[in-house]
Amino acid sequence: MPVIELEGIQMDVDEDGFIQDPATWNEALAVAIAKTEDVEELTEDHWKVVSYLREYYQQFGIAPMIRKLCKETGYDLKTIYELFPSGPAKGACKIAGLPKPTGCV
Amino acid sequence: MSASDIIWTLLSLFFIGLGYFAAFAFAAGMLWRLIGYLRTPMPLPHALTPAPKTEGGAVLRVLGDVTLFPNLFKADKWLWAGAWVFHAALAAVLFRHLRYFTYPVPGLVLYMEPVALFFGLLFGAAILFLFWRRLGLPRTLYISNLPDYFALALLGLIAGTGLMVSYWLHANLVDVKGFILGLMTFHPVEVPRHPLFLLHLFFVLILMLYFPFSKLLHAGGVFFSPSRHQPYQVQLRGKRYVNPLER
Amino acid sequence: MPKFDETPIIKDPAVNGVLRAPGLREHASTDVRCHPSKPKDTAAIDLPAELVPDWKERALAKFGELLEQNQALRVYMDICVRCGACTDKCQFFLGTGDPQNFPVARAELLRRVYRRYFTPAGLFPDLGAASDLDEDLLRKWYTYFYQCSECRRCSVFCPYGIDTAEITIAAREIMASIGVSTKYVTEVVAKVYQTGNNLGIPPAAWKDNCEFLEEEVLEETGLPIRFPVDEAGADILLVPPSADNFANTDTMIGYGKLFHYLGLSWTTSTYCNEGGNFGLFLNFANLQKVNRRIIDAARMLGVKTIIWGECGHAWRAGILTPTLSGPMDMFDPPYPYHISQFIVDMLRKGAFDGRLDKSANDDYLVTYHDPCNSARAGQLIEEPRQIIRAVCNRFVEMPPNTIREKTFCCGAGNGLLTDEIMPIRMAGGKPRAMAVKHTKANYLATVCAICKAQLPESMHYWDVPVKVGGVIDLLANALKL
Repeated sequence: MPVIELEGIQMDVDEDGFIQDPATWNEALAVAIAKTEDVEELTEDHWKVVSYLREYYQQFGIAPMIRKLCKETGYDLKTIYELFPSGPAKGACKIAGLPKPTGCV
Repeated sequence: MSASDIIWTLLSLFFIGLGYFAAFAFAAGMLWRLIGYLRTPMPLPHALTPAPKTEGGAVLRVLGDVTLFPNLFKADKWLWAGAWVFHAALAAVLFRHLRYFTYPVPGLVLYMEPVALFFGLLFGAAILFLFWRRLGLPRTLYISNLPDYFALALLGLIAGTGLMVSYWLHANLVDVKGFILGLMTFHPVEVPRHPLFLLHLFFVLILMLYFPFSKLLHAGGVFFSPSRHQPYQVQLRGKRYVNPLER
Repeated sequence: MPKFDETPIIKDPAVNGVLRAPGLREHASTDVRCHPSKPKDTAAIDLPAELVPDWKERALAKFGELLEQNQALRVYMDICVRCGACTDKCQFFLGTGDPQNFPVARAELLRRVYRRYFTPAGLFPDLGAASDLDEDLLRKWYTYFYQCSECRRCSVFCPYGIDTAEITIAAREIMASIGVSTKYVTEVVAKVYQTGNNLGIPPAAWKDNCEFLEEEVLEETGLPIRFPVDEAGADILLVPPSADNFANTDTMIGYGKLFHYLGLSWTTSTYCNEGGNFGLFLNFANLQKVNRRIIDAARMLGVKTIIWGECGHAWRAGILTPTLSGPMDMFDPPYPYHISQFIVDMLRKGAFDGRLDKSANDDYLVTYHDPCNSARAGQLIEEPRQIIRAVCNRFVEMPPNTIREKTFCCGAGNGLLTDEIMPIRMAGGKPRAMAVKHTKANYLATVCAICKAQLPESMHYWDVPVKVGGVIDLLANALKL
């Protein structure tokens, strides 16, 4: 099982670097994961997306529709790709500690 | 009895035995394999687009596959030409061989006389082409295995020896026909005293033994390919495809 | 990402798009493998979590059982003559150059074991091209049977119609039975039993998504267009790919606009809001179990008919429904019914007469990608084209050897749409990308959620600037509501 190490604390992640238990997520961890996703610094814009993802996930148990994410945060898809180069599903969800959306997406 | 008589008698016994054994193995093997295919259920509808909508259309599709090789034509024109010439020439040569098996010989077989050599040479040429293709292209070289070469080599030897006994070191037609008809009527007689003919016969008998248990079975298996023999009827009323395993 | 041969494989693009096979690059893709499955997923779908101790015996027993129960497998094990007609037809060979991705070489991985244990050739393995089933070979099975997208392109060119998909399906079934399966496929099947769909969208989220789309469309059109959920007594149950209500929202909106325009009562079901069936990529038992959910959902809601949405393999599994899940006589014919067929029937009846503004799509030069499953397994070739011609002025076809029944797989179908094998996906997507480039189209229409997820990535990778979307998206653009 791969692990990610953060200030001495080890966290289980899956093969793609997504944390196994979304409940163990915290903001410091997000910063650490962000570095693996070519996001050097989490700005206010990043946090807005991340918090919305967390909020939605806690309510519904899944990531929101991309269309809804854009609408609720006010960023269009292009901006989201600028913030998270590997995209909303892979980059943003990983940093927000959500499981990776899989299926036909 | 001279020594040579003894050898020919032993050879005759060998070929008579092998002949019956090969004929039996071929017939029983083919029946066993093809009945096996026929009895194996197909759990799900499996027609390949663009599929015929009716059973009649499916029969025509399979007959088209067997006679014209349309898929090969789509895939590779040279291969199609080589394969089609090979099979057509083989069919012609086999048909012409009826003159050794029938009495009286059908008229059509006799009329083939002027073109028989042509088909024989065509058959040999097609084998050489297919052999060259197997070795000459990196892609076919990669996938070819020993049985592929064996089958082609055996057919090549049959064609070569066959052409030689017909057009060069002639075998006595009456002896050959007498031997074959003797086998067929279960009154076997001595083999023709013609080593090259016996070599030809030997290769043929080996081919018959090998046929049902090798890829050469495509000759019968082609009729049992579900992607080709099934019509596409899943949306027709009253044509529900029932899984034979759940009947 | 390991790079494969990057040279273009379509030559003379301006003339007719003849395909050029790459040179052989042995073992080029031998190290690209899917992640293995996780115990939590395999437990949920009745499969062993890891390689069972007596795996060889069990694999051979399963193989023997399948040979007795599947005419296609049995015949296709015997009759291949290795003529080579298929060797330059598979997108995964064309993209990687790895000869093990020849359809015939892939099938030989299974045939060698067949000959060894089920034919006389097994007595002389070296002479008869037979091999022992050992861990080395099992590893090759796992690699190369998950580099096949079961798209059936090779079978179109096989003189006997040998269907490598059927061989891959059998190999995956054997592997699943001994505890060898991929994380991607097993996770998705497990989510279907848990949430009703491949994405794992729980009912509350599904409803929230539908309400959100209602607001969006109201904002856009001013019309109260509905996206009903679990409405008992509706006439139509729509089983879309769940991705339509998550990522491909334009397609979902298209369904809503279409049914609104036609004034039909329809619904989705939170018990089964998925047409897709990953059981098809895994084993027969799960294929059947997932398929039965559709009929069960339709019965629970009391609908008159079921319509399958824009999903390729959903339709391949969909046409199996009467076989897998029993007669559909309680529904209105025709059944099974695909949304494209439904739209064409409505077009024929004149339901859209005078209400389609083709110029709404004039910004687009549209080309159509036949999903492998809808085209080659589901006979769905003309319908999407008829719709596109009815709603677009500018439609262009890709080269004839890359469309219709000769279509290329998008490169990620049938269980390959997972990121760890991205090199294979991009390589497999190469022939399609080259063909699209050749048309200069700027809208790539298709009727499959997997294609809609894969194509934007492969088009980007191969530098083809094109928007990917559904056929129904175009209809919705043109429809004067």
